[in-house]
Formats: sequence, C-alpha cells, structure tokens
Amino acid sequence: MQNRFLEHITSLLLVTACMLTVFFFTHNKLDKTEADALPYHYSKANFQFVDFNNSFQKALLSDMLNLYHPGREEDNIRVYNTLSGVAQMDDLEEMQKSHLKESLTGKKLIEIIGMGVKFLFVYLLVMILTYYGVQVIGTWRFIKQKQRPFLSHSSAKNKIKQAALAVLSFISSMFLFSPAYVIAYSIRTEFNTDVLFFVILLGVISNGLLITYANKFYNFLLTESKKGYVETAVAKGLNNNYALSSRDTGISYKSIFHPLGKFKGHVFEHIFKNARFQYLSTLKEQAVFLITGLIIIEMALNIHGHLSYEMLRQLLHKNYDIVIAIILCIFYTVKLTEIVTDILIQRETAKFANQLQPPTPATIRSVP
Amino acid sequence: MNEFGINKELQSLQDEIKRGFDSPPPPEVQKKRPKIKTVKEKTAQSDFWQQDTSWLFSWIGTILFLTLWNAIFLNKPAFKQIATGFINTVIISLQVILFSLVLAWGVSLLLNHLSANKKQSLQFMVTFFLNLIRSIPQIVGILFGYIWITSLSGTNGSLGNFLSFTLIAIIISLFIFIELADLMLERIQHFKKLDFYDAMRVCGIKESRIINFHILWKNSRIHILNKLISIFGMAIFLQCSVSFIISVGLSMEIDLVSLPNTLGTLLAKIDSKQDILAIGYAITHPGYIPQLFFKHLQGITVSFLLVFTLLSIYKIAGGFAKRYKL
Repeated sequence: MQNRFLEHITSLLLVTACMLTVFFFTHNKLDKTEADALPYHYSKANFQFVDFNNSFQKALLSDMLNLYHPGREEDNIRVYNTLSGVAQMDDLEEMQKSHLKESLTGKKLIEIIGMGVKFLFVYLLVMILTYYGVQVIGTWRFIKQKQRPFLSHSSAKNKIKQAALAVLSFISSMFLFSPAYVIAYSIRTEFNTDVLFFVILLGVISNGLLITYANKFYNFLLTESKKGYVETAVAKGLNNNYALSSRDTGISYKSIFHPLGKFKGHVFEHIFKNARFQYLSTLKEQAVFLITGLIIIEMALNIHGHLSYEMLRQLLHKNYDIVIAIILCIFYTVKLTEIVTDILIQRETAKFANQLQPPTPATIRSVP
Repeated sequence: MNEFGINKELQSLQDEIKRGFDSPPPPEVQKKRPKIKTVKEKTAQSDFWQQDTSWLFSWIGTILFLTLWNAIFLNKPAFKQIATGFINTVIISLQVILFSLVLAWGVSLLLNHLSANKKQSLQFMVTFFLNLIRSIPQIVGILFGYIWITSLSGTNGSLGNFLSFTLIAIIISLFIFIELADLMLERIQHFKKLDFYDAMRVCGIKESRIINFHILWKNSRIHILNKLISIFGMAIFLQCSVSFIISVGLSMEIDLVSLPNTLGTLLAKIDSKQDILAIGYAITHPGYIPQLFFKHLQGITVSFLLVFTLLSIYKIAGGFAKRYKL
C-alpha cells in the first residue's frame, strides 16, 4: 500500500512539474512572439497616413523602413508584413481578438480555482448519487431475480405485465444509454438544460454510467450469493426470504432504499456487504468514466462558467497557459479520488482481515 | 348390496381414475410419446440463440430496416451522409480494436518479461506510465489528439481518409487499451501460478510460446474477445462524443473538412440538432410523434443509430459473458 501512495505522490509531482515546464515554455514563447512581432515598437497608429490598399504607398513604406533601419532586411520585411496585415484587419475583428487573448493572471487563476471547486462539488454529488443508484438498482434486480422462480407465468395477465415491463425496460435502457448531449438536445425546447441541476441529473443518468455499474454490482451480488458461506448460513436457519414486505420475514422497501443497505438478520446482509467491498475496487474506474461524462456534458452543451467549457474555449483561442491550469485541476480531482479509494480499500481490507484494531495487552490477558 | 355399498364402489372407482390421471404414464408409454417442446424451451436449449446472438441479429436487422426506411423517405444527400458517417464510425472503431489488441498484447508481454527478469525499476516505470494514462480522463486525451490531427491536416493539407482514420484510431486506443492489458496480465499471472506452466517449462517449451499460445490464445481468447466487444462500444461512444464537441465548439476556427464524417459530426449539424429538438416538442405534443419519422428523419436516425448501437453492444457483451460464464 505504501508503494501505491508513493506512486500517487510521484505522479502528482511529475505531472505538476511537466505541466509547469510546458506552462513556462508556452508563456515565454507567447511573450517572445509578441516581442518578435514588432521589433521597432511600431503600431498601426504610427502609420495612419499610409493607405495599405495603394501599392505605391506600400512600396514607399518598405523603402522607408530599409532606409531607417539599414542591414535589417529580415526585421523590416516582418514589420512591413505585420503592419500591412494589421492594416488589412477589420477594426472590429481586432477588438474581438484582443478580447479573446487571455493569459493566466492572478484573477484568472482564482476564477479557474472557483470553477474547479464547482466542478469538484458537481463531481462529488454525482459520484454519491451514482453510488447510491448503483446499489439500489443492483439490489432491486438481485431481489427480483431471486423471486423469479416463485412467480407464475401462466396467466394472460402476467404475460401482458411481462410484455409491458419488457417494453418499459427497453425504453429506459435506451434512455440510460443515450449520450448526455442527445438527451439534453431532445428536451431543450421544454427545459433549460444549462442549469446546474441538469448537469447533475445528466451526469447520473446519461452515458450508460448508471446501468453499466449497476450491472457490475448486480454481478458481484450474484457471485457472492453462490458462495459456500451463504448456503451454510441458510442451512443454519438465517432468514432467506426474498419476498418484498414490510414485515420481518422478507426484505423491506425501506432497507433497499437505505443509503447503507440495512438488512439485519437476513442472509442478504452478508452478501451485500461483501459485494460492496468488491465494488470498491471499481470506484476508480467509475470516477474516471464519470469525469469523462461530466466533461462531455459541459463541453457539448456549452455551459458557460464551467471548467470544461472554459477549457474548450481557451483551447479554441489558443490560451494554452490557462488550458494547462485547467488540466491540472482535472488531474488533481482524479488523483484525489484514487487516493481516497485506496484508503477506503485499505481500511475495508483491514476490517475484513480483522486487522483494524490490533489486540491490546489488556484484551490478550483477559483471554483465558 | 345396499345403496351405501354402491356409493362406496363408485367413490373408489372415481378415486382410481383420478389417480390414473395424476400419476405419470408407465415407462413404455412414456418412451413412445415424444415430449412436445414449446418454442421458448427450444430457443432456451439452443446453443446458438442466446442473448448475444439475439442482440447481434436484432442490431443488424434494425440497421437494415433503418436503411430501407431512409432510402424511401430521406433525401439522397442526407442518406449518403448518414451511411458514410456510420460506416466511418464502425471502421474507426474496428481499427481501435486492432490497435488496442496490439498495444495491450505488447505491454503485457513487456511487463511479464520485465518481472521475469527482475528488472524492477523498469517495471515500476512502465506501470507508473500506465497508471498515469489511466488517471487522464479519456475524453481529454482524445480531444487533444483530435486537435493535433486537425492542426496536422491544416499544415499538410488534407490528410487522406486512411491516414486520418488510422491516426484517430491510434489516439483512441492509447487511452482505452489499458483495460485489456490489465486483463491479459491478470490471466498470465493466474496461469503462471498453476502447475501446467511449470510442467510445460520442464518439458522444454519456450516461455513465449506458453504465454502467447497456451495462456493468451488457448485459454484467454474468450475473455479477450469479450473485452474487445466492450472496447468497440467505448470507441464508438468516445469517438462520437469528441467529434460532436469539436464540431460544436471548434468548428468556427478549425476546418473539419479533412476529418472523417462520423455519427458525432452528423449529430452536431444544425439539421440534426433541429430534428433532435423536435423530440422534445413531440413529448409535450404527442400528435406530432408520427411527423418525427418522416420530417425529422436525419437527426432521429443518427441519434437512434448511436444509442441503439451502444445498447446492443452492451447487451452483446453481457450475453457473451453469460454464454461462456466469464
């Protein structure tokens, strides 16, 4: 486990160092190109009297530059080209370009950190909701699967019910597998999908995230239920009734929807706990997939003021220093999840191996 | 025999007949009478028709039906665009499968070689870089790759279809091959612990042959194939998402003509967007639903193709795992 933490810290340091190097490289390059653009600090304002559509006046300007700065033909050509390019540029376009060019100032950094915090908040909320949803759907499917052998299929009413359920399941599967942008554009005429609530909702239900991981959890439950200790527990008389009821005999709705899944006195309690432990290892994978989904949502829906949209915008305007800061923000989020998951796995493993609290001398002495 | 006696006799006769109905027929009668199977029983017992094959055929069938429907009701240029977009998406995803397989196979062999020769520092470095790639959200990596390709096509003129397909596939596979590499390494480690590995080594069989042929090909190809099906779905999803994002966000600055048309780029087009927006209108105005299948065919077809393909691949992978009890 120590190796894992060492690896996390090394990768954090290495990526930060790499990004900072790229940042300084791009920053210096930008400064250099700006400085290189006009070596004599000339601007359009200095040549307002020149008509750049007139070829004679343009040739005159070129000659004049060579006269004033002899022996610097290359610089003169660059200045001439730049000035004629600036002159040809529409004033409005020039204004737009200057507005779009940004660099990583202290104010911008604070703005990005604010967006990063918002992204982290949305991510954590979606993660918790997805984790809860995965457990509830997986448990529900498992209980329904356990009940299946006892249901009668013969009556016409049941067949209609089954067909209706199959259609409903197909529609909900199609919905849950839809990429976020398909869902968002389909309901955009009726709802405002640019609000935070929709980002969270789409993060949970779209891109196939919920259904994929609910299925994984269900498979863990199924694998656990086939293990020997379950059969032994049932043979010894532990409650094995999977009927949905509020009474003590079966499994209550309340326990299924309980965030921690309380199934006291039922064999499912042990199946659930063990499956949840196995599921912990997939949390990292889920986190990366979830972040991918959130980035898709924010970028595809052009939601202003969000981290991923800002990244796309800055990428478009080639403000690479800001892009690097945003990428670092996202990378830290992933790494944070990985570290927390590793700690959780370590704790749970210790709990399962009865190593969480080493026996104290007092307890050892009290053992006869 | 009095009245009560007759009733008793009748009662016993009735009981006997009843017993005759309830009890199974004698074995000789059972042998003669073949058991009639229902269609459900037949399909359940058949090895071929299981979840994976059913979904595969329903996917192909739906695509064929959509082709026919669009050929009748959609205008020719739009129909051609959809067909090209879908084929391009599938070709790139198939290439992703190929590159992922090559990368994963190579990395797992390399790691295995390093661990066998006790080159721990090198092994740590390779694992470290793999974990680093794992920590980068796939979409971010692929997005940068796409931007690199567009800039490349900007400087070198239009890249050919084959080259741009291959570059896109390599970039996508760089970010998704790790899952497959993990699986292969896990299989190699598992089989190395078993006796057959040592027995083969004692027999003088080369380690490379044991790993490549006996472990990965003979004993793990089903697992690998199942993972490749998932990778195919993932590739479609990521490819469409990135091309959608680029088409929506970067289309003003970057010339996308050189990039291949995929379902994502088609979805980002204004016609398709309007068609998808019509779904929302149809939800609140159910009378408008039939119009969706005639007036808004382009967007509806593209989005349906994308979603149904993702669902089908998920079901095929699930069915495949169930069939081989993976």
